[in-house]
Formats: sequence, C-alpha cells, structure tokens
Amino acid sequence: MSETRSRFPRRQAAIVGIGCTEFSRDSGVSTFKLAARAVKAAVKDAGLRVRDIDGLATFGVNDSISPNVLAQALGIESMRYYVDQWLGGSVSLSVLGQASLAVSAGVAECVVCYRALNGRSEIRLSGSSSSRMRPPWDMQFRVSAGYIAPAQEIAMAARAHMLRYGTTSEDLGRIAVLSRHNALDNERAMMRQPMTMEDYLASPWIVEPFRMFDCCLETDGAVAVVVVSAERAKDLPHRPVLIQGAAWGGGVNIVNNGRTDLAESPAKLIADRLYSAAGVGPADIDFAELYDCFTYSVLSQIEGYGFCEPGGVPAMLAKGAFDRARGSLPINTHGGLLSEGYIHGMNHVFEAVQQIRGQAAHRQVARHDVALVTGQLGYVSGYSSGVILAGG
Amino acid sequence: MVPVPDRDSARYWAALANGALELQHCRDCGHWTWPPRPVCSGCQGENLAWEPVKGTGKVYSWVVNHRAYAPEFAALVPYTIVLVRIDEQDDILIPGRLLSAVEVYQDLRVRAAPERLTDDIGDLNWVALLE
Repeated sequence: MSETRSRFPRRQAAIVGIGCTEFSRDSGVSTFKLAARAVKAAVKDAGLRVRDIDGLATFGVNDSISPNVLAQALGIESMRYYVDQWLGGSVSLSVLGQASLAVSAGVAECVVCYRALNGRSEIRLSGSSSSRMRPPWDMQFRVSAGYIAPAQEIAMAARAHMLRYGTTSEDLGRIAVLSRHNALDNERAMMRQPMTMEDYLASPWIVEPFRMFDCCLETDGAVAVVVVSAERAKDLPHRPVLIQGAAWGGGVNIVNNGRTDLAESPAKLIADRLYSAAGVGPADIDFAELYDCFTYSVLSQIEGYGFCEPGGVPAMLAKGAFDRARGSLPINTHGGLLSEGYIHGMNHVFEAVQQIRGQAAHRQVARHDVALVTGQLGYVSGYSSGVILAGG
Repeated sequence: MVPVPDRDSARYWAALANGALELQHCRDCGHWTWPPRPVCSGCQGENLAWEPVKGTGKVYSWVVNHRAYAPEFAALVPYTIVLVRIDEQDDILIPGRLLSAVEVYQDLRVRAAPERLTDDIGDLNWVALLE
C-alpha cells in the first residue's frame, strides 16, 4: 500500500526555550519538582512567563507527573491543549510533533514539552522492577522466557545484524567510545571520564552481544522545551529553531506476523515518513542526535535514515564520519543517552537546540543549521518518532 | 515469572499447562496468529480456532542473558533466550529459554518444551532437536 504524503505544516512552529535540571543518579526530589523546575527554566530561557503557557505535552510509562497536575501547581489557568502519552522512547519526539501541530493550528499558543523522571532512584525502566510501571501489551508473552527488558530485544536484533553483515563488538564499541568522547566536555553529562576500546571490551556482559557500555544510563532529571508559532518566535530572544518536519507512528510489531527480519532497520519506516514531512533528505542533515538506548540502536538508525547502505556503518565509523570535530555527520554531540544521561530522548532535543543556536561551546559543530533528532527506532512498542529541526 | 493471561490468551496458556503448543488458526484464510489476539493477523476476521502446531522450528536469533531483570530470574542467569521461527509459518518468531546445553547457532532445530506452572498456565521453553 502506498502512503499518502505527509502535509505536516513545515516551519510553522519553533522551539524558543529550553530548560533542564541536573542529571544525576539520585535527584532527591519528586518527578513533580523536576518537571516544575525544567518547565520554569525553559520558559525563562524563552523570555516568557509561566502564565503564558497554554499547553503541556509529556510522555511516560506511569512514572512521572501528569500535565494537568503540573499545570495546576504552576498556576496555569488557560490550559487549552495537553498530551499525556503513554509509552517510552518510541514517542519521545511525538510530543514535539503534537505540540507543533497544536500551535500551527492555533489550538494553543505556547506548548511546553517535558519529560521528568527519577529513572535511577525511583522507577528504573530496564526491567520489571516496578509494579507502578505500566507494561507493554505483549509482556505476558515475554515473562516466562525471562525476555522482559528492552536490552534483550535490541540485542536480539544486533545478533541478527552481526550474523548477516559481520558486524562486530568493536563496531558497537566505537559508538560507545564516540559517545563518551562527546560527553567529556559537556557540563551536563553524567559520564565525564574517558573510555577506550579496551575499557569497552572489558565491561561486563549484560545480555550478549551487549556489554555494560552498550547500554544507556539510568538517570534522574528533567528537560523541557517551549514551542510557539514561527511568527511569534521572531520576537523572542534566541534564534528560532523551526520544526521543519515531524513524524510518529509505526507499522506492525516485531514479534508478530509481519516484520520478522530483525537485521533490517525498523527506523526506515519512520525515516521515510519524516523526510517526506520535512521535505528534506539525508544529504541535507548537518548533524544528528540519534536515540541511543543501546549502541546498536545508533548503528541501525544510521542505516534506516539513509546515511549508508545496510552494513555500511563500520566503514564510516572507521573513517571518522560521525566525529563531532571533523566528521561529515556528527552524531550525539552531547554524549547521548549512553554518556550524557537518560532523559528519555528529550535531552537530545535540548542539545540540538543549543547546537542550532550556536550555544554549544566546546561541543559546537561547524555546520549547525539542520538537525535530525530521533526517538527510539521502533522496538518494544513497534512505534517510533522523529523530528527535523532547522535554524530560522 | 508466571504470565498474567487475558481473555484472548487464556486458552494459549492453558494448552501449555497441558503440554501442548496451540495457536489460533484462521478457518477463513488459513493464517496462524501469534501472540494470541482477538482477530486474525492475516484477514482480521474472528473465525479463529485453537489448534496444536507441530512445536518445531529453528533458531533465528539468540542472546545470552547475564543479568536478572527481575528477582525471579536470579537463579537462572546466565541463560540463553532464543527466538524461534516455527515450521508452520515463517512470519512468527516465538521467544523462550533454550534449555539444552548446546552451542547455539542460527537455524539450530528446536522443539517446544511446555511446562506446567499452575493448573491454568504453562511455560514455553525450547530444547535442541538432535537430528
């Protein structure tokens, strides 16, 4: 079935403010307080006031504070639009897409997207450690096998890729080392000590073929971003970061009838839709913040988003194609979920905005007008999301 | 860990408790559906019958799990989880622990090894078929 072309309202909405809390292993405060702090910081950065907010959008797995509760605490009387999306990293960019639609349509004027979690000290997402977390529908078919963690599912795909293309541990290790390198001079990053390939290979197995350093961090913290119309953004202090395009959704899941070729990138589905929505292609992307719950997720997205043919990532890694300083496509310039912190992908948006504004200090990439920012590539829920941001 | 059945899956778990791997087979289009769902994944109809499958297949991918993601698995680690492409239909991949102490490889032949957990709920794991 051929798809209808997206008529996403390109460049009609803009990110005008960003805010975050400290990223730590134990915030010592509630997700309610983390969310409030990040939202207030983002609004201040935008040169706006909290009472200007008339929409809130978030996501989670029943592990965070809801928009209606937060809005009431912040004294927001004119809530006109809200999204409280259940699911994890697969929808991390869908909230930004939703906010863009809302302000483009005039349903709301100022929507703040946020993600707040105590992902280390309270509710860890790596397994079934919390009964508060709402599990995915197919969990009952995984528990008896002890097959309950995202790491296991994505390691299964990594194995399939290794079997078909000869991908190695060292290839995954290069992604871990690159991410750590990018975190070293990032004041927000949780992991500031250097990592070598030897360190990577010496890290313990979690679920073969994944070692500890193939896996992202668990983090307490929050990030918020403010979305207003492109027109209004012109009057605000920072260079507007326009939502060039957004796409979210999916097709069929992996462990059911339909797509059972695990070596193939599930990101391709959302990538094609995103490029269509944005009216740009891979050659137009200056840098990318790719959802890196695991090293292999990055490799698979580089293929799925069309930066190389399947199996082509190792050669690009070896050539330094993704290096922040000299690469043709810098990726995860902040260190990503692997080394900066796990704010469920919203920290990727924060970094992309800083880069596009030219405010990334030592981390600043040379070409910084067009960014690809992605959500989890299509495992677990079978759904994914992504945005392309462009400097105004 | 004992699965929590729902109205669509209760028969699946009960069959496993009785030592059988049964899947929904569509009387209209002949498609097999897994995991259990209210409609056929081939034609979206509701004319589904529970029927046993041969219970054989081959390993498509596998991981060796070293970490107990829930306390119930602590005594099992390290354990191997295989994703099995069943012989009846090549677009169904069913996970399970590989109980055999053999070297695992792609296309390793396996068979289902259901185990009773409660009167109504069985477990599905896999053992190597030595040919």
